[in-house]
Amino acid sequence: MVESPASAKPKSWLWGSLTSIRLTVFLLLILAAVAVIGTVVPQNQPPGQYFMRYGEGLGGLLYHLGLARVYYSPWFLLPMGLLALNILSCLIHGLPQAFRRILRPFTPEAALALPERGKFSWPAGVDPRAHVRAVLRQELGQFRQANLSAQEIYLYERGRFRPLGPYLVHLALLLILTGGLIGKFWGLEGSLPLDQGEVAQNFQVADAQHPLDFQVRLDRFQVQFYEQDGIPKEFRSDLTFLKDGKEVARATCRVNDPVSFGGLTFYQASYGARPEGPVHLKVRHGDQDQSLELPLRRLVDLPGGQAQLMLLRVDGNLQGYGPAAQLAFREGSGHPQIFWVLQDHPELGEQPDHYRFRAEAIPFQYYSVFQVRRDPGVWWVYAGFILFLPGFYLAFLRPAARWAVVLEVAAQGGGQARLLGASPRNREDFAASLERLLEELKKGTSP
Amino acid sequence: MISQVLGLVMLVYLVVAILFLMAELWSSPRLQNGARVLLWAGLGAHTAALLARWLGSYRLAVVHAAPAALAENLRLIILHAPLSNFYESLIFFAWTLPALGVISFRRYLKGYLGAGVALLACLLLAYASFGGVDSRIKPLMPALKSNWLLIHVVTAFLGYAAFALAFGAALLYLVQDRRPRASLPPVAQLDRLIYRATVLGFFLLTLGILTGAVWAETAWGRYWSWDPKETWSLITWFIYATLLHARLLKGWQGRRIAWLAVLGFMAVLFTYFGVSFLLAGLHSYLT
Repeated sequence: MVESPASAKPKSWLWGSLTSIRLTVFLLLILAAVAVIGTVVPQNQPPGQYFMRYGEGLGGLLYHLGLARVYYSPWFLLPMGLLALNILSCLIHGLPQAFRRILRPFTPEAALALPERGKFSWPAGVDPRAHVRAVLRQELGQFRQANLSAQEIYLYERGRFRPLGPYLVHLALLLILTGGLIGKFWGLEGSLPLDQGEVAQNFQVADAQHPLDFQVRLDRFQVQFYEQDGIPKEFRSDLTFLKDGKEVARATCRVNDPVSFGGLTFYQASYGARPEGPVHLKVRHGDQDQSLELPLRRLVDLPGGQAQLMLLRVDGNLQGYGPAAQLAFREGSGHPQIFWVLQDHPELGEQPDHYRFRAEAIPFQYYSVFQVRRDPGVWWVYAGFILFLPGFYLAFLRPAARWAVVLEVAAQGGGQARLLGASPRNREDFAASLERLLEELKKGTSP
Repeated sequence: MISQVLGLVMLVYLVVAILFLMAELWSSPRLQNGARVLLWAGLGAHTAALLARWLGSYRLAVVHAAPAALAENLRLIILHAPLSNFYESLIFFAWTLPALGVISFRRYLKGYLGAGVALLACLLLAYASFGGVDSRIKPLMPALKSNWLLIHVVTAFLGYAAFALAFGAALLYLVQDRRPRASLPPVAQLDRLIYRATVLGFFLLTLGILTGAVWAETAWGRYWSWDPKETWSLITWFIYATLLHARLLKGWQGRRIAWLAVLGFMAVLFTYFGVSFLLAGLHSYLT
């Protein structure tokens, strides 16, 4: 995870394993594999679904092993927890050293300890300084100068804070994971379907009703469609928040534009249509026309008594064709047949043989569905996102390099210089700069 | 008109690929230069086609709701970047390959690698045109109406393109490593290219995931939903994170890194195509 320092103390086995990169690579690959399982096996379905899909044996196994909720099962959480521990250990292990490294100033002594990369010399009567300075300024940038007794040293340093980069990135990841945990334990997430005019005091969390410490009323719900395609263009809910029956605030909630009140945030999640009374149908059987009223989810005998019909649901704008009712039809003991009847387009859709159904009126009303949520972890997650960026920049896009040119003037005139430098983790660029630098330096100084 | 231009661009990329190959086989710098000039021309026309589509999409939106103020207009322009369905994403992905190539990896964009990039761009365009992909400009559904759309899609696809480059370099590496040929770039250079492209791709993919998470938080009230596309992008991220750690800290080089780059790109392809076709989820409007 982090460059292994030459620590004096031998590490214990446990600490050694926790800080090892081998563990990191192993965990990353395990997590990838488990995540793949989660996309292949459908998640969060009721147990029956797994039996139907995979059969009694395999389905039961999948369900009981927790693969039906794999991201919340030990299969995923254990390696994830270990990865967090791994990252934390590496931070504790390496961060102090990284700090020491960036605090260590680039002194002439430190420069002289850098590995030597090349040499050049000049004859008596030549003063190389102006040339060396010009080359350094052009090839590297701003440099410093220091004088020791018999030496003149030019120092250049770049990317001093690079060692912090990997730690910032990993700290960012820990913040994100922490945010996730906080959300899991102290967050609240539910949904709230509301009819127009309805006032809610509770919302649905998992299978239970969770009380709100205020009331919320849906004053108006609007949905607009594009003319072609029947794709919804916008849906919006005008909400009023009340406390003890008194209006406190009004707000409009749209998709991508949530509303916060009383520590909770309301997101416009979706909408639906529900019938406002029975659907009025005209039924043609043979050459007989008859009217029929169909309440929701109640089996109604068709005239003649050989067949039965049930209203399953209504839709306000089925694929852009206007109001529609979904019906289930059964004749005798045959298989039920499910089909849509469109109010404005009676010609569309397949219908049972020998029967023709037309919808005279489909009274319906839209209701609005909100996602209601409180997540104190979000800011941790966002802090992680923000920290990641400078961390990545330092770690990868800001390679560190230290260069020094040491000039030694001989007593009888002339002299020689050494080029020193190092750039950890950036061999290729370093080699290229080295070649250029040496060439340029030699050009103007060699006899 | 736009589709004719894109058809032409597709042919240009094909010719570029052939020219790069011929330049390599006959080691002709003149052909190499010709291929480059032609690639620039194709990229220019491709860019123009993208902008024209953007304009068309914006015009359609203005018909539905004319903007009043400047700020509103600006928002409408941002919203209607041509990145909102599968066809548009194919066209954009095809664009990012040569674009990233000429911007960030110009030195490497020649010979087999240049041919590979041009050929992949050509194939993507061919798929968009002849693959039965719905190319109509569709109005935006409410969830897509967000300022995050542009940055999310652009970073994600630029990341894919960088990974595609790393993949190309990895394939060449594996060939070169088995049976070295003078006409191919030296392995050290390829190894370096794999690493650089991966770093860039990893950064962009991370940005894509982060911007997507922020967007999901405002749209659905959840920064992470384990939607298949999210999950697969995370799987991809894990694989490339493994590559970077193995190389930087375990000193892995060469074949093993090349194989990881190949594996990573398989995950990228699945994230892009596989998830859209095989797994349903929040991103399914793409198909």
